[in-house]
Amino acid sequence: MAHKDLREFTEALQSGGDLVTIDDEVDWDQELAGIGRLSCERDGPAFMFNNVKDYAGWRVLANPVAGWRRYAVALGLPASTPVREMYKIYSEREQNPIPPTLVNSSPCKDVIIPEADIDLFDLPVPMVHDGDGGRYLGTWDLVISKDRDSGWVNWGMYRFMVHDEHHLTGYPRPNSHLGKMLLDGYAPAGEPMPIAIVIGADQPSHLSSTATFRMGGDEVELAGGLGERPVELIKCETSDLFVPASAEIVVEAEIYPDKIAQEGPYGEYPGYRSGEMGNSVCARVTAITHRRDPIFTIDTTGFMDSSAVTTSISGAIAIRRRLERYDIPVSEVYIPPESGVHMAIVSVRRGGPDIAQKVIEILTARRALMSKVIVVDDDVDVFNMSAVIHAFSTKCHPERGTHVHTYEGRANALTPAYSQDERVNQLGASVAFDATWPPDWPAGSTPIRATLDSMYSQDVQDRVNARWNKLGL
Amino acid sequence: MAEIQEYEAFVRDRARAVSGAEVVLTLRDLAPGRHKYKGINVRAVISETPLEGEPLLWLRSVVGVRDSSPCSVRITEELPPVFDAPPYTDYFKVTEALEKG
Repeated sequence: MAHKDLREFTEALQSGGDLVTIDDEVDWDQELAGIGRLSCERDGPAFMFNNVKDYAGWRVLANPVAGWRRYAVALGLPASTPVREMYKIYSEREQNPIPPTLVNSSPCKDVIIPEADIDLFDLPVPMVHDGDGGRYLGTWDLVISKDRDSGWVNWGMYRFMVHDEHHLTGYPRPNSHLGKMLLDGYAPAGEPMPIAIVIGADQPSHLSSTATFRMGGDEVELAGGLGERPVELIKCETSDLFVPASAEIVVEAEIYPDKIAQEGPYGEYPGYRSGEMGNSVCARVTAITHRRDPIFTIDTTGFMDSSAVTTSISGAIAIRRRLERYDIPVSEVYIPPESGVHMAIVSVRRGGPDIAQKVIEILTARRALMSKVIVVDDDVDVFNMSAVIHAFSTKCHPERGTHVHTYEGRANALTPAYSQDERVNQLGASVAFDATWPPDWPAGSTPIRATLDSMYSQDVQDRVNARWNKLGL
Repeated sequence: MAEIQEYEAFVRDRARAVSGAEVVLTLRDLAPGRHKYKGINVRAVISETPLEGEPLLWLRSVVGVRDSSPCSVRITEELPPVFDAPPYTDYFKVTEALEKG
């Protein structure tokens, strides 16, 4: 079972050596995030900053789940849990959703700030990178919104920046669930869209908000399933949205149906600050509630940030399920965190050009987040990048093995490879690299891999393995 | 001696911004303290060579690359904090349209 709130989670991290506490004063202006950034790049720990310049009484936690060890703790597992095992556990828990419970009181209402008294600069929002468009309040958040017509509630993790004392600007992609709710419902009706930006809730709630999950799916119940306990919800002060009662901070707001302001640029999860700024949403903050002695959480976004591991698991599982629905003989899927959620490895029981082409078309049908997919035979361990690189380098025909699929209106505007024009118009392309043997090649002439498990008899393999073990290697 | 006020602004078309004509843009206040990076929408005239008595303005590109030296800026009108336009409208096109009146 996962930890019930952020504080219990951070205690678990600290006891396992995965959290470092800093009591010296640290500047919110780049220094704090710089420490977190370096930690991501060196596979280091999370940091709790107890003394933030200009913000006495606040603490800031950087990178709650950047790295597999912290992801395991977020699920309530031992930090040493192997990645393949975490994939399996996540997949099982995802299939066992648990409905939330409602509560009437929570520490997240210890302090209630009405709209008239709000100054967003009272929150210790760090400047994450030099050259960002502003200070990003929403980096490791959970944004709650409700579909105007169906009432479906969406949980997502979207970036939001402080514009001035009362306004936020954000970039939930137009084809994200929140973006579609706004563009298809509230904006045409000319109505403001209530949202709640939740900071520092129980980690399963944040994991659920990052999940690649179907439209109409219940991410609240998914959070319950991932944590193996119901999420406690409490009603917002200024809307009928419900937020996790475990939250440290809740920023209630309304997205304008007819107003904008400058947003971005921002150093994003692919590991670059690309020129996607200029098309965003703008929200007016209507209330802020928080615990006493609150903890503000951030993800120092960039290479190997928290989203790298969270979307590695949920994205890969979503891809596998999607391919299965289209009768692709998929065996396993892995998204390497180092790819910035741009590359997936898909192993199949039967490969070939038709399968590779179908895979890339299926995975780019609605939203095209993956720009590269390597399709391998199922004798290649997708979690073993050495084996994947070997298969890709040797089995993918440079001409016949490359399947490019182009699209318009659904490309990932954050993909660094795209030009400014492609970004604005969401023009893009994805490619499948077919690193499988053509199914029409006779077994008698298909190359045999020169590895112990392929080119030696079972008897020899057993003797070699026995000797290896005896040598203590 | 009073500190010189400093701002930064992100521009897509730098040449247009420093043309000497009045432009609409969002300044980020660089004064140290809690309110650093606050956004202010303004009409202003930018001088590529800083003019005495005017606040300094650091221009940045759409990916945040900062000019090696600052301009100066003369604010002619402070505008409302948000611009009238549907969500996801290109911010730069909106400000350009406001410049044309």
